[in-house]
Amino acid sequence: MSDVAISMDEVWKKFRRGERHDSLRDLVPAVARRILHGAPPADQLEAGDFWALRDVSFDVKRGDALGIIGHNGAGKSTLLKILTRLLRPTLGSYVTHGRIGALIEVTAGFHTDLTGRENIYLNGSIIGMKRKDIEKRFDAIVEFSGIGEFIDTPVKRYSSGMNARLGFSIAAHLEPEILIVDEVLSVGDYTFQGKCIRWMQDLLQNGTTVIFVSHNMDAVLSLCNSALLLDRGKVLAKGELNKVVAEYYNSGGRWKPELLAEPRVTTVEFSSSIGSELVVAPGARVVFRHTFEAKANSELTPGFFVNRGGKTVLDTTYARMLGHSLRINAGETASVEWSMAFNLPAGVYEIGYHVGEWGGGYHDYKSRGIIVTVADDPRVKGESFVDLRLEERRHNGRVLESVRADPGILR
Amino acid sequence: MFADLKSASIEVWEHRELLEQLTRRDIKLRYKQAAMGFLWAVFMPCLIVLSGLIVRYAMAQISGATLRPSDIANIAVKGVGWAFFVGALGFATASLVGNANLVTKIYFPREVLPLSSVGAQSFDSSIGIITLVIILPFLGVRIHPSLAWVPLLLLLLVLFTTGVSLFLSCANLFFRDVKYIVQVVLMFGIFFTPIFFEPAMLGPKGAYLAMLNPLTGILEGLRLSVVEGHNLLEPLTVVVKGVPRVAWDPWELAYSAVISVAGVIGSAVMFRRLQHLFAEYV
Repeated sequence: MSDVAISMDEVWKKFRRGERHDSLRDLVPAVARRILHGAPPADQLEAGDFWALRDVSFDVKRGDALGIIGHNGAGKSTLLKILTRLLRPTLGSYVTHGRIGALIEVTAGFHTDLTGRENIYLNGSIIGMKRKDIEKRFDAIVEFSGIGEFIDTPVKRYSSGMNARLGFSIAAHLEPEILIVDEVLSVGDYTFQGKCIRWMQDLLQNGTTVIFVSHNMDAVLSLCNSALLLDRGKVLAKGELNKVVAEYYNSGGRWKPELLAEPRVTTVEFSSSIGSELVVAPGARVVFRHTFEAKANSELTPGFFVNRGGKTVLDTTYARMLGHSLRINAGETASVEWSMAFNLPAGVYEIGYHVGEWGGGYHDYKSRGIIVTVADDPRVKGESFVDLRLEERRHNGRVLESVRADPGILR
Repeated sequence: MFADLKSASIEVWEHRELLEQLTRRDIKLRYKQAAMGFLWAVFMPCLIVLSGLIVRYAMAQISGATLRPSDIANIAVKGVGWAFFVGALGFATASLVGNANLVTKIYFPREVLPLSSVGAQSFDSSIGIITLVIILPFLGVRIHPSLAWVPLLLLLLVLFTTGVSLFLSCANLFFRDVKYIVQVVLMFGIFFTPIFFEPAMLGPKGAYLAMLNPLTGILEGLRLSVVEGHNLLEPLTVVVKGVPRVAWDPWELAYSAVISVAGVIGSAVMFRRLQHLFAEYV
């Protein structure tokens, strides 16, 4: 047994934009053209073709967890489909050692008219479980999903959350040697998500190789031990987790598919309770304002994030203006002011900001907008800051003193 | 070619439980929330027999002959076979496209999808066969040694249907108009297959033309061995208006057998070679 679970070697995958001929009527002229001009070589692009993957190579060792990250359209799904044998690479080759289990759209095998029980057997065998394995794990699957008494109800009457939980629970009992996971952690409520993470950590501890595709950098950082960043089909970075994740954020602004309104951040201001100083006390109230403009009328989604040492501390990417929309006309400027208690421990933080279009691909982006230093606080050391106060001191039940600390924080 | 066949049979065998589950699913879905329930399985053969009787009655009116109970038996035996072929193709043609969510999401040998359509139709048709076994004695059909041919003929029918199913499901995935072509061909196919009539009724040349259809050998073989008690290794001539005509030729069976087996092998190889494109094209 080799210690490499997956090895991909210079894999290229070609796709065609737009419609293919998909009726017999169109086939005849296409075949005639092919006979007259000969089939195009595999490594060349015809009009309308594009490379979804370009020269992708990587190895995953047995028991490792690789996070595959990248912006939409980077080729993550194509890569997964090649690994799960759904697509064949145009050029290049890959080998996998071990039974592969894929958690990609876990409810794909469900039939809405069948009951939960029937779907467990159906979906279980679709993803490659043996009948006796399903029987053995049936109770565990039902238990994990939390479906309970609804197991004999047709799944068309389930809520979408129940559906996804049942699908995930079936897949979770597959016990693969290589697990491929695509954004399934976004299903279900928080309790269920916690369950899923614990389950994946258990698998990793038992030596399962995991390939994890996600937009959720926290999940990638906590589960994986290495990462691969894809950008327009190319491997932009691979290897050390923190570096690759940082690169993911840096690459954001470069991704410009169709330019429409091209919103742009013009100015950024920062202030805290002690003025515009870039050194603040932990827990200080800080205000962060950014101004932007756009080339066309558009609806914008500004946001910011805070990084420390390559790790994301917080990210409002999907805050969507906390429910407010921000419309802007061509040539106008708009600004947004965020305020927050900087409840972070001592250290150096990079505040990055971005502005994107609602539903659009383009966003302007800078990962190191402002460098803020949080000063040491004598009260707390460690990974996080809490606004710790000593309220009262007693001795043998007798109040010695009652302290009302005033840390000088603006409220 | 052998490598393709080998990998196809190994993978399908490894996924036999999936095939069983998908067949069960197809059967369950036909009878869930269905008003007709199991009557559905005999509905189409009944309609075929009824239309056959109308055609035969009209023919009898012109020729002056009378309809016999064995005529009903003749049409019923071939009608159940034809209903199997039509039913299986109807479901199998759409099987890959209809399960596009599976084809694009999860890997398993795609052969199991058209195969499960044939499997589900086999279940329906076995209800039809049981009904036939109950009814045929009342139509004067007796037990003959020639009934020993029935398992072989049924096997050939399933093989031929499977071959066509594999081919059409694959073709329909690449070209969506295949489904409509199949519908039209199956609608009129009953006139190109001797169900309502026997090949001998078409005259000497017509009989041989009808035998070009591989289903002719199988369905006529079923009729002759079940209803007429004829040993299929011997030729049969019938006398129509004083002229002897070929009603059965043992080579007909050989021809159907060769076509069925070659069809299954050819389609299976084609299917295997194209299936890596399915997820991309569906």
